[in-house]
Amino acid sequence: MTAIDFTLPSKKFKDKTTVFAVGTVVVALCCIYTNFNPLAFFMEFHNVRDLLGEMLPPNYRTLTDDPSTGYAILQTLCMAFLGSLYGGIIAVIIAFLAASNTMPLKSVRMIARFTLSFLRVIPIVVVILIFVIAVGPSTFAGMLALVIVTIGNFGKLFTEIIENVESPPAEAIYSVGASRMQVIRYSIIPQILPTLIANMLFAFDVNIRSAIALGIFGGGGIGFKLQLAKSVLHYKDVAAIVSLIIIMVILTEKISDYLRRKILGEGKLK
Amino acid sequence: MIEVKNLTKSLPNGRKLLDGISFKVKKGEFVGILGPSGAGKTLTLRCLNGLLKPDSGSVIIKSENSQPLDICKIDKRELRRVRQKIGVIFQGYHLVKRLSALENVMIGRLGQISTWRSMFYGFTDAEAEEALKALDQVKMSQMAGMQTGSLSGGEMQRVSIARAIFQSPTLLLADEPISNLDPSNAKTIMKMIKPLSELMPVVGVFHQPEMTAKYCTRVIAIKEGKLIYDGDPKLSNKRLEEIYGEELELIEQQEHMIPVTAK
Amino acid sequence: MPPKKFSFKRYRKFILPLIILLAVTEATAIVCGATFGKLSDGIFNGLAFLGNMYPPDWSAFPEMLEPALQSIIIAFLGTVFGTIISVVFALLAANNLANPWVRNITRVFIAIERSIPEIIILILLVAAFGLGAMPGVVALSIGCIGMLGKLLADIIEEIDPLMIEAIESVGGNKIQVIIFGVLPQIMPNLISYALFRFEINIRLSVLLGAVGAGGVGYELEYSFGMLQYHRAFTAVIIIIAMVFGTERLSYFLRKKVKTEGALT
Ligand SMILES: Nc1ncnc2c1ncn2[C@@H]1O[C@H](COP(=O)(O)OP(=O)(O)OP(=O)(O)O)[C@@H](O)[C@H]1O
Ligand SMILES: [Mg+2]
Repeated sequence: MTAIDFTLPSKKFKDKTTVFAVGTVVVALCCIYTNFNPLAFFMEFHNVRDLLGEMLPPNYRTLTDDPSTGYAILQTLCMAFLGSLYGGIIAVIIAFLAASNTMPLKSVRMIARFTLSFLRVIPIVVVILIFVIAVGPSTFAGMLALVIVTIGNFGKLFTEIIENVESPPAEAIYSVGASRMQVIRYSIIPQILPTLIANMLFAFDVNIRSAIALGIFGGGGIGFKLQLAKSVLHYKDVAAIVSLIIIMVILTEKISDYLRRKILGEGKLK
Repeated sequence: MIEVKNLTKSLPNGRKLLDGISFKVKKGEFVGILGPSGAGKTLTLRCLNGLLKPDSGSVIIKSENSQPLDICKIDKRELRRVRQKIGVIFQGYHLVKRLSALENVMIGRLGQISTWRSMFYGFTDAEAEEALKALDQVKMSQMAGMQTGSLSGGEMQRVSIARAIFQSPTLLLADEPISNLDPSNAKTIMKMIKPLSELMPVVGVFHQPEMTAKYCTRVIAIKEGKLIYDGDPKLSNKRLEEIYGEELELIEQQEHMIPVTAK
Repeated sequence: MPPKKFSFKRYRKFILPLIILLAVTEATAIVCGATFGKLSDGIFNGLAFLGNMYPPDWSAFPEMLEPALQSIIIAFLGTVFGTIISVVFALLAANNLANPWVRNITRVFIAIERSIPEIIILILLVAAFGLGAMPGVVALSIGCIGMLGKLLADIIEEIDPLMIEAIESVGGNKIQVIIFGVLPQIMPNLISYALFRFEINIRLSVLLGAVGAGGVGYELEYSFGMLQYHRAFTAVIIIIAMVFGTERLSYFLRKKVKTEGALT
């Protein structure tokens, strides 16, 4: 009989227990180092209970008493919208400069690619802190931060989408004597457009959430209101704002989901 | 007129894909290229259009009112100008799947309109009518508005033929234009291409010797990158055996089928 | 299908959506105070400010290493505990394992968690527990449930039902079904999702630090607050190195799992 390649159960068991043991020890060490006791969360759960007690019932009066809350929601939405739109458009432009089938010059491609991968690794906190100082704490600063973050998150993806477009149609268009611009217009754009729009809608979803975090660091909008209510310990107001945020996120997600399905699904057999 | 001289092309590992191919096609001729799969027929056609640069050799195009040009040596701008008048029917159709059939046909004229105009889809209604006529010639006008991604293989093939016709070329290169068509449609296409050869040189790759015998004015055979036959379209069984190897019986069976395909 | 008319007329149907888009953009721009002039000014001010931050204050580098390590460990612990909790939730949310009532309730819970931004969970936890590593780890763990729970539950639901039946048919109980049938099946996906989540958690742990959970995020916020921009620049460099490093690491490990592991 030839040797069959399989691991004996006893060895497999040993391997698995080793991995498990090492993993547990590492996690335990990490817990000790940071002074984090997983059980403490449950032992001190009364803290959570106390907080909930303070938060409930939510004080929805704050929303009607203070009309700027509604405006803050609008600001957050606008911030996310503009951030996704401008960021998405700039990302598409850079992606066209970075894709090998649209940009013949290697030097330009390298620069565009470097820009994208650099923007990718900058966390949003860094960006917002910089813009808050550069243009002052405002919705405008939040929007600029979202523009930068959107370019970083989606630029590389867009480049890949452009590069993965089928190449034979482009060849056929070249064969009738067309220029590169015409190939982009008639072969690449029609093929990538629905995917790009769907991804921009997705970017909007992501940016809504980020926009809330931005508010806390001076980016304006509902996040700022939340931070304010928390800093003066009005937890019932906090609860009202949080529930409002959840509703806003769910609603925008549903809308963008619907639009996305409509855009991607057109002309397909059901 | 198009003249091919001594085309060679090899892979980096030294394998010769094209090995000294030379032939000449004049106006009024309909030349069929035969050869087994992987012989280098598609590569040859790609060289004729400048989509592929051969390692050595030349492709010279002469038209009535201009100087002879060597496609392999001219610059990009010039190449684009020459290509406007070369119609190519690709083996894999090469259609833009998200555009409609009519739009795909219109693409044939892209080289001839200005880049700026084309950015805004600047085709005129008259051009659309003409494109529709081209589609009608291949019996596809009914499906003009459909996205090509949802067409069948034969329908896509006919759209790509219409694209080449609409381009109103002065040289037509067709790579297996009837490979995916039913016998009746294949006949329509052959009957359509044949008279075109009165106006321009036509070069077509085929896998149907009975078709080339019936419609072509001359036949070229390529095998393993070499030109092994150039002459009368009616091939003897011995010739066919030479071209396709030991599979003569299969060819004979196909010949039985001639009445079905060619009637 | 009759062909559409050509030339510019074909753009008619795009006019209305385009006008709407432009109007919405204009309106939102007013709300954000983002006129075009301001927009480019803003970007250039940002860049100019970056120039001002140069050079980094390297003397602060050694004292930031420990906070950086803390941030990484918080992200790591958050990912580990979060993945474990997510697997439990995924098992409860899969229709081929859990009973319909449990499944639907779990699914709703997962959906709600998904729509709460992590930052809110963190703020509330900081409010409840005070500053420290605990609210950070717990917030990151809870944050995992929405994403990993949903993805894993979907994968578990796609497991071949015959396989589960096969184990049940030899007398295996639910736990054995899960250990021998479900877990090996989802393991490659589980690992690659967890690694992906680790990347997200690294970024989040910086963010969390900035609202008070400690770590390098706190150093960053503190330096900005104290107007010590050169020191802040050092923190930025460390953060970028952290994010870049984890991204490479996770890419490397994911590729390894993909080539080794079965299925997808
Ligand atoms: N891009 C390429 N890189 C490497 N080899 C190639 C390339 N294109 C074609 N070849 C090789 O060149 C040879 C000739 O290819 P060609 O496409 O011309 O064949 P063909 O005669 O058209 O065959 P068929 O009848 O199947 O279409 C084949 O062996 C193919 O493998
Ligand atoms: Mg071929």
